[in-house]
Amino acid sequence: MRAPQAASSRFTSAPYVLVAPLALVLVVFFGIPLVLVVVVSFFDLDKFDIIPTFVLTNYSELLSSPLTYTLYAKTIKYALIVWAITLVIGFTVSYFLVFHVRSILWQMGLFLLCTVPFWTSNVIRMISWIPLLGRHGLLNQSLIALGLADHPLEFLLFSDFSVVIAYVHLFSLFMIVPIFNSMARIERAVIEAAVDGGASRFRVITDIVIPLSRTGIALGSIFVIALVMGDFFVVKVMSGGQSASVVAAMSNEIAILQYPPAAANAVCLLTIVTLMVAVIMRVVDVRRELSG
Amino acid sequence: MAQAGEIELRHITKRFDQTLAVDDISLTIPHGSYCCLLGPSGCGKTTILRMIAGHEAPTSGDIRLGGESVVGLPPARRGTAMMFQNYALFPHLNVLDNVAFNLKMRGVRRAERHERAREMLAQVQLDRRFSERMPAQLSGGQQQRVALSRALITKPRVLLLDEPLSALDEFLRLQMRGELRRMQRELGITFVHVTHTQLEAIAVADLVVVMDQGRIEQAASAHEIYTLPASAYVARFMGGQNVLTGTVVTIDGGVATLVDGSGARFATPVKSPAPAVGQEIACCVRRDRVDIEKLRGPSPSPGEATNVAAGTVHAIEYQGSYVKVTIDVLESEQVVAHLADHAFLATPLDIGDAVLARWATEDVYLLTGDLTHPPTGVRPGPLQGRESRSRNL
Ligand SMILES: Nc1ncnc2c1ncn2[C@@H]1O[C@H](COP(=O)(O)OP(=O)(O)OP(=O)(O)O)[C@@H](O)[C@H]1O
Ligand SMILES: [Mg+2]
Repeated sequence: MRAPQAASSRFTSAPYVLVAPLALVLVVFFGIPLVLVVVVSFFDLDKFDIIPTFVLTNYSELLSSPLTYTLYAKTIKYALIVWAITLVIGFTVSYFLVFHVRSILWQMGLFLLCTVPFWTSNVIRMISWIPLLGRHGLLNQSLIALGLADHPLEFLLFSDFSVVIAYVHLFSLFMIVPIFNSMARIERAVIEAAVDGGASRFRVITDIVIPLSRTGIALGSIFVIALVMGDFFVVKVMSGGQSASVVAAMSNEIAILQYPPAAANAVCLLTIVTLMVAVIMRVVDVRRELSG
Repeated sequence: MAQAGEIELRHITKRFDQTLAVDDISLTIPHGSYCCLLGPSGCGKTTILRMIAGHEAPTSGDIRLGGESVVGLPPARRGTAMMFQNYALFPHLNVLDNVAFNLKMRGVRRAERHERAREMLAQVQLDRRFSERMPAQLSGGQQQRVALSRALITKPRVLLLDEPLSALDEFLRLQMRGELRRMQRELGITFVHVTHTQLEAIAVADLVVVMDQGRIEQAASAHEIYTLPASAYVARFMGGQNVLTGTVVTIDGGVATLVDGSGARFATPVKSPAPAVGQEIACCVRRDRVDIEKLRGPSPSPGEATNVAAGTVHAIEYQGSYVKVTIDVLESEQVVAHLADHAFLATPLDIGDAVLARWATEDVYLLTGDLTHPPTGVRPGPLQGRESRSRNL
């Protein structure tokens, strides 16, 4: 009686053993810090002393401050604008690469070209915009030289415009890669079957290509939105300190050792990003499509 | 005046960079007929089909449907529909929407197109309960029916099928082949069916087009292709025939005698214009017209008798209604005989037996056409069942 039982229990534990390493990594590097943040968000703060109790003041202060709403509105606005632009770019570039570039060699070459911005560091990529967009930058000087503008355009740098440009520059690839990946898996014969059935080029895109690349679109959207929502560096550099974001505010709080309010803010942000991702996942069943 | 479903190819050539896929082909497929394009892999069958459908443009030549040139017209304006090799169903649409897709593109309202899709599915005998399923949840045979309905829903005058049965198992293949033929009769439209299986082609087609390397070797009825092959290539590719080659030594009273490399003598009836003495020619004799007898005594020297080949039995395959005996002939091609099973059982043979194969001069058929190029890539697999057919013809 005992032996088979032992054997079966050993058998059923196998899956747990297999996921253990990953679970461990997740717990140590994700679970514990997350729990810590949540716990700290309920701590009290007296000047610079953190008092481990359970209070809701961090949240009530956060939610009653109009600044919070401005910051969130600003961050979500950035996220949505950047999402829309990278989506258009990502879809167009992928569509071109997959359906118009016939040779695999060219396809790979052009794809690598898209990754060129990532060959240097984030900081350099961003700072290199300054001599281009600045008051006496390349663009303004050319515009003036060409007589298209009589004085330097101010909005080019240290503005929402430059922030969005930098985001798009940094994050387009995160949209291109997943969309390209799912588009490349569309069978040519399926497209041809649609054309055979009378679909115009436009209908092929709306009725075949978009539905069949929706996994990639969803994944890319999750990447871009999460990246923009979690950024503070780009906003700081590209807006010249004139604009802020949720995470920038958080980083200021941390800099002056205000951990509990920062933690409360982090929990709020996490909730909102999670909700956004949940909405995307609801529209597209990413998991089912990835496995299928 | 050509009827709507007549297809005429006039001197069609198609070149892809270096490769010549289709080489100056002319062919007329009558309205309402079932045509099979048959040939080894890479001979240009799919390319021809795609040019008729409008997915590929010919490098030169003209394609006429119902008497009008369609070169340059988009696929949907040609009145053709294509069934793709692996069906190419839309993976994100359910069965009903797949079938209704072509109507949607033509602006038919939802309720009406679903209604017509249901009718179409009933016509191909796909059960109603499958209509909400996704393509991935269907068996190969069901997918095939969906693909067929999708192609037929716009009432095309020509249906183009690219290897429609190759993804199915043997049993389904036979069943679906019959159904395709039935659908074609019912609808009365032209079917062009690409295949590389001889058996499939001769079983369904009114017109069999045998192709090789971008050219048409013979286009005729199945019976004619089978019994009166136009060339050694067709005879070999279709199987069912023994091909004999040699040099003409005499011509006498409508019978030519030829001698092959080993000195064996064959006789064949010739019609005018007769070949000249000294010319290389090929002729063939059907496998079921070859008789075999056991050799008693010493082997006759080659050239002693006409229409006789001496050799040893290489293989014996029982085929149900007949027995296929393959004989190794010295310095010459193998000879294959199909013996009726009772005849075989009366005088059983064994592998390695010395035998004589003989046949009558009137059963020999003179082949014309090019002798020099052997069939490329004749597929050995599904050849067998076809021979049983030859007896029924
Ligand atoms: N798009 C293309 N680009 C270049 N060469 C091609 C293209 N399509 C076909 N070919 C070439 O044209 C020739 C004929 O191809 P095709 O697909 O018509 O053959 P097929 O008879 O359908 O063969 P199979 O039975 O294997 O399907 C082949 O040599 C093939 O390599
Ligand atoms: Mg093919």
